[in-house]
Amino acid sequence: MGKNKLVQLPLWTWILAILPLLAFGVGKGKWGNFSVQFIQEIPRIWTDLAMKNWELPNSNPEFSAQPVSEEFYYSLPERVIFKTYPVYHPDYEPDGYWEWLHEQEAEIVFDPKNLKTEEDWIRAGELLFDYPIDTLGAVIGTEHVRDRDFYRDTQMPLTSEGVMPFAKWVVAGKGKVYLGNLSCGMCHTRVMEDGSLLKGAQGNWPGDKAFAYALEKDGASEKAIQNVTGFLFSSPFVAGDPHGKLIASGKDSLVAAYRAVPEGAFGRQGTSILYPPQAPNLIGVKDRKYLDHGGLGQHRNIEDMMRYIAMNQALDFLNFYGDYNPLGLTKERLYSGQPIIFPGTYDRHSDEQLLAIAKYVYSLTPPENPNKLSTLSEKGKIIFAQQGCVTCHTPPLFTNNQLTPADGFEIPEEHYGKYDIFDISVGTDPGYTLNTRRGTGYYKIPSLLGLWYRGPFLHDASLAKLEDLFDPARLRGDYVPTGFKPHTVKTRAVKGHEFGMDLGKEDKEALIAYLKTL
Amino acid sequence: MRLLFVALFSFFLSVPAGFQSAFPVRFQIKNAGITVEGHFSESSFDVQFNPKDLSNSYLRGKVLPSSINTGIGLRDKHLQGRQYFQSASYPEVQMHSKRIRSLGKNQYEGVFEIQIKDFRQDKTISFSAIPKGKGYEFEAKFSINRLDFGIGEKSLVLGDEVVVEIKLRKE
Repeated sequence: MGKNKLVQLPLWTWILAILPLLAFGVGKGKWGNFSVQFIQEIPRIWTDLAMKNWELPNSNPEFSAQPVSEEFYYSLPERVIFKTYPVYHPDYEPDGYWEWLHEQEAEIVFDPKNLKTEEDWIRAGELLFDYPIDTLGAVIGTEHVRDRDFYRDTQMPLTSEGVMPFAKWVVAGKGKVYLGNLSCGMCHTRVMEDGSLLKGAQGNWPGDKAFAYALEKDGASEKAIQNVTGFLFSSPFVAGDPHGKLIASGKDSLVAAYRAVPEGAFGRQGTSILYPPQAPNLIGVKDRKYLDHGGLGQHRNIEDMMRYIAMNQALDFLNFYGDYNPLGLTKERLYSGQPIIFPGTYDRHSDEQLLAIAKYVYSLTPPENPNKLSTLSEKGKIIFAQQGCVTCHTPPLFTNNQLTPADGFEIPEEHYGKYDIFDISVGTDPGYTLNTRRGTGYYKIPSLLGLWYRGPFLHDASLAKLEDLFDPARLRGDYVPTGFKPHTVKTRAVKGHEFGMDLGKEDKEALIAYLKTL
Repeated sequence: MRLLFVALFSFFLSVPAGFQSAFPVRFQIKNAGITVEGHFSESSFDVQFNPKDLSNSYLRGKVLPSSINTGIGLRDKHLQGRQYFQSASYPEVQMHSKRIRSLGKNQYEGVFEIQIKDFRQDKTISFSAIPKGKGYEFEAKFSINRLDFGIGEKSLVLGDEVVVEIKLRKE
C-alpha cells in the first residue's frame, strides 16, 4: 500500500489503530522506543456512599450492619505483604527447615509498581489469597502446628508433601517467624484425595476442630472461651438469643460446639457454630450475583468483590448492629483514633491488594472433571429437567442467581424491586439466615458446578454426600446427619430441598451421575 | 316450535359449573428441552352451545391457578406466587367466547378473550364439538405466550409458549 493510499484511509481506521495506545499508554520498553503498558485503574471501594446499600439488610432490618466510615477505613495502615513459607507436618518437615526459616530475612513481595500485565495482577492476587492477615494466633499458633497431636486430633488434611496448606509461616525479619492465620486460602483451599491442592474450592480445613484443639491445649479459661465466642458469633438482638444461650452453656459445651463443625464448614465471624456455613466454592464466583450463603453482599462488579473481601477479612468485627458491636466497642471508642488491636481490624488491604485478590478469584477455573458423560449421566440429565431442578439450578451456571427466603422470613415488598428473588422457600434450616449477624432472611440458590470435588452439602454442611440429599430417611427425627449435627443432639432431621426423594434407585443413580459431571 | 326446541336444547347445555372430566384443562411447556405437563384441578364451565344458533352460543370457563399441578409441589407453589399467577390477588383465569363460527362438520372457530391477571387478549381458537348423547364433547388445543400475560419472565430454559388443551363434555 503506497503512502497516498494510507492517507486516504478513513479516520476510523486510524482511531482503531491507535486505540490500544490510548487505552494502555505509551512508554519505553523492549519494542525499541515504545511499548504498550497496562494501566490499571484502582477503584476506591470503601466509600460511604458505596457501603450504604451494598449489603442486604439483616433479616431484622433494625439490626442491619453499619460498617465503619470511609474516613476510618482509609486511616487504617495498609498491610505489608511478606514472603511466606509452607507449614509441614512435623514428620514431613525437611531437616533443618525450622532453623533455616529463622535465618531468612523479611522479603516484601507485593509492590503494585511491579504489576505490568493482567497476568502479573493475577499472580500477585494468588500470593495475597494465600497471605495470612493474622499473626497473633487468631485460630491456631506455632506450638499447635509443631505438635503431632494437633494433626491426629483434628484429622488435618495434608498434601502429598506433608504440607498443611491452611496456614503459613510469615517471616517478618530474621528470627521473626510467625504462624499466619486467616488467609483467604485457609477456608477456600481443598486438599484432594490424591494430596494435590485445589485453590478456591470449598475448603476442607477443619478450622473449628483446630480451634477447639487450641483452646483445650492452651488451657483457655471458660471466660476466655466465652469472650471469643461472643466476639465471633454473638447476636443478642436475635429472638431467643441462641448464641447467648450457647455462651452461657459453659466451657465444655462450647468446645464441643466447635468440635461439631465438620471440615468443609467454618464458623466465620458473624456466622455461627450452631448453624455453621459451608465453606463456599470460589471457582466460578465471578458469575454469582450475591456473596455469602445469605446473599449478604451484592456482587454487581469487581468492586463489590473487593468490598466483600475487605469486609469478610475481619472488618465486620467493627460493624454496629443497632447499638451492638461484637467487640463491645462504643462508637466513641471506635472513632477515638486509638487503634483496635484485634486480628484483622487494625490494618487493611490496600485497594491495589484487594483488586489483585479479586482478579485472582475471578481467574479461577475448575480442574478437569474425571466424571465423563455416559449413558447413565445422559439419563440423569433428563431427570434433572423433568424434576424441575433447572428452574433454580439453571444451566449454564446451574443457578438462577436468585435469593430464596427461609421459612419464617416474610419478604419485604421493597425487596422485589431491589434484589433477585425466587419467592418460595425450599424449607432448609433457617437458623443461619435468621439468627446470625450475617443473616438476611434469604439463602442464595447455589450453583451446582463442581459438585464432584465438593462436600459436605447444603448451606450448613449437614450432608456429607450427594446420595444423602436424596435419602428420604434424612427427613426423620432419628436420622444421624452425615455432615454437621449440633453438639447437643445425636440425631436430627435434615429437612428441606425435598426434591428427587421419590425417585427410584436407578433414577437417583442416574441423577447423581449427571450432577457429578457438572 | 323451532324456537321452543332451541330454547329447550340450550337449557340442557346451560348446566351449572361442573367437572365432566377429571382435569379438563391441561397444559404443556418446554423446560430445559423437556416437555413439562400439568393441569388445573379446579375449573368450571358455563356453556350454551347450539350449532344452529351460534350467535347466541357461548363457552365460558374459569380455572383456579391455586389448583395448578405440575407434579412438583414446590414448583406449583412458586407458580402460584407473585412472579407467575399471583393467585392470591388473581384467583381466577378466565376465558370466554365472543363469537363462534362453523368451519364444517363439528368443527368451529371462536374468538375468545383470555384474561390472566390484568392481561387480556383475544385469541382465535379452533375447536371441535362432537355430539355425544344429549350433549357435546368439546376439544381445543391452542398455544399462548406466557409473557403476554405476565407469567414469569424471559428465561434461558423455560419456553415462552404454553400449549393448552381443553377437553370438556357437557350434557
